[in-house]
Amino acid sequence: MSFRWLSRPNASSGMGVADHTKNTFLELKRKKVHRYVIFKVDEAKKEVVVEKTGGPAESYEDFTAALPENDCRYAVYDYDFVTSDNCQKSKIFFIAWAPSSSRIRAKMLYATSRDRFRRELDGVHYEIQATDPTEMDLEVIKDRAH
Amino acid sequence: MSQLAETYACVPTTERGRGILISGNPKSNTITYTNGRSVIMINLDNPLDVLVYAEHAYPATVARYSPNGEWIASADVSGTVRIWGTRNEFVLKKEFKILSGRIDDLQWSPDGMRIVACGDGKGKSLVRAFMWDSGTNVGEFDGHSRRVLSCAFKPTRPFRIVTCGEDFLVNFYEGPPFKFKLSHRDHSNFVNCVRFSPDGSKFISVSSDKKGLIYDAKTAEKMGELSSEDGHKGSIYAVSWSPDGRQVLTASADKSAKVWEISEDGNGKVKKTLASPGSGGVDDMLVGCLWQNDHLVTVSLGGTISLFSATDLDKAPLLLSGHMKNVTSLAVLKSDPKIILSSSYDGLIIKWIQGIGYSGRLQRKENSQIKCFAAVEEEIVTSGFDNKIWRVSVHGDQCGDADSVDIGSQPKDLSLALLSPDLALVSTDSGVVLLRSAKIVSTINLGFTVTASAISPDGTEAIVGGQDGKLHIYSVTGDTLNEEAVLEKHRGAISVIRYSPDVSMFASGDVNREAVVWDRDSREVKLKNMLYHTARINCLAWSPDSSMIATGSLDTCVIIYEIDKPASSRLTIKGAHLGGVYGLAFTDQYSVVSSGEDACVRVWKLTPQS
Repeated sequence: MSFRWLSRPNASSGMGVADHTKNTFLELKRKKVHRYVIFKVDEAKKEVVVEKTGGPAESYEDFTAALPENDCRYAVYDYDFVTSDNCQKSKIFFIAWAPSSSRIRAKMLYATSRDRFRRELDGVHYEIQATDPTEMDLEVIKDRAH
Repeated sequence: MSQLAETYACVPTTERGRGILISGNPKSNTITYTNGRSVIMINLDNPLDVLVYAEHAYPATVARYSPNGEWIASADVSGTVRIWGTRNEFVLKKEFKILSGRIDDLQWSPDGMRIVACGDGKGKSLVRAFMWDSGTNVGEFDGHSRRVLSCAFKPTRPFRIVTCGEDFLVNFYEGPPFKFKLSHRDHSNFVNCVRFSPDGSKFISVSSDKKGLIYDAKTAEKMGELSSEDGHKGSIYAVSWSPDGRQVLTASADKSAKVWEISEDGNGKVKKTLASPGSGGVDDMLVGCLWQNDHLVTVSLGGTISLFSATDLDKAPLLLSGHMKNVTSLAVLKSDPKIILSSSYDGLIIKWIQGIGYSGRLQRKENSQIKCFAAVEEEIVTSGFDNKIWRVSVHGDQCGDADSVDIGSQPKDLSLALLSPDLALVSTDSGVVLLRSAKIVSTINLGFTVTASAISPDGTEAIVGGQDGKLHIYSVTGDTLNEEAVLEKHRGAISVIRYSPDVSMFASGDVNREAVVWDRDSREVKLKNMLYHTARINCLAWSPDSSMIATGSLDTCVIIYEIDKPASSRLTIKGAHLGGVYGLAFTDQYSVVSSGEDACVRVWKLTPQS
């Protein structure tokens, strides 16, 4: 008797989490093959799926450009930086992107499924909730990471 | 990176019927006064050298340097005294709540250990003296029943405190710990100011009954008075001793200041009457004075600070002025060096020259209040809170006759076509009015609530912004407007629209903190995500070569964006003006002038980021 508990729907919003989302996240975390991953809630299939990934050479600007202006998404970004005592460090940010110009239905959907999805991603260092581009500015990321 | 290059300071807030108290640094030529919630320290030898302390939560009333020049104690209308250092970012030493009402005067003891503060309050707490670092009381001050207008600390031992107030009394306290000794009721009206001579031998009280009385400092016996021959003909609001203790300067509502010689027996004779040149109105009443080393400073009700020289009393005074209220708009005239015109809502227009400072006030024939203001060479167009638009020609500091036109409803925004300044677009609540010189060309009802408008420099296109955030673009043909397009991007009422100097772009700002730059021909968004303000955008300015745009907001910040770079690489000037930034203009490619609610005008130099 096997049950794929990963895709059992969540009581509050009914969205499941697809298998490959967790795998893609692990790839970002362990093997560093992605700079960022953008996840989308697929209403038809009732689950969270991977929409786009970015290669390690891509920058923060490419990442912000890949997010839609008027729709919500979840994203993880691997931020590399050098600390004040000259250590090379890398921190993973989970970004809940919900711009105020998106539809209310989209905002509600993403807000209720966020917790369930976030629990799948083990190893995220910082969480950011952004309702406009200024809230996920590179400076905000820099401030948070230390 | 940005750097504050110049500050054109505001002047002290004045009130009719009351004097104001200004004080000076005993060690230098810096004087300090208050305006709104800020305390201003200005160097008399170089009026552009201004420092502003803006940490009070309530309007500040008086500020005083400590005898060693290291600390300033400033007080506000809530009865709080803040003691802070004059150097190093104004580090706060202590804050005390002394009285339950406004504090009118404050004095340090000569050793800098005690402070006496007096003012308005309930019952006993009209005067309080306390240790400067712990706040413990050093005496009981009863004897006054009404507001205490001034207090003074004897500068030599044995310590005495003198207070005077609205109950016509001059009270004398001995101590420490200070106790009531005796009271004089020689004045027949409010006693406005009381001061000890620097050598501690006498003190003088001046009153609204036009008299000045001199007393012995140790025993408080009345010694003599300022002679009534050639005396003041109006209330005397303030008095200040010369550093040698032999002369006093008084300032009065009769629009003159007098220098008196005080003889050893305590009688005063007028040595010289100083009158400032002025138009002779109520604004020339003198409400404050200070004898600072070689400078005699007098402050008038209208906010003009006159500096006389103590050694050469006949020399014409240097006049300094500035704004007293919120400076709502700025205009830069294309001359060299740049002339900046700033206007505040009380109708005052002041001319500043970059690098020199205060240059003059524009004397207008009718001093109505100003809501919107636009200036081109030689001509100013203003509108106030009535339904008229005034067009005035300007020659030097004098304004010529004004032409006015009544447009039927209150103007909300005003814009001049810069290349043909005859043409003006005025927006009212429900539509726009096109004006040519002083004649209405057409009045057009647009059907939506208009909040901002702009006309292109060549006068062929107009953009009108509405309450709903939509930008309507019209082409101007003769005297009609034809709607060409409606642009929707803003999520709040449009507050300001400006064309770039090269007319290829225009920018709009709204009350939802967002600014957008559009391309004029294609009407497409050129730069967006300019969302970094945290409160409504009040003003917007383009750099002369159209490569940079500056936005000023109610959140006191000025943000400068470069058109070619993404909005995130921006330059922020935080805390530009306490209370909000209301006016912005570029004087040249790297200097921005901003003005705001704190009545100051500041010039910032931008260094381009590498």
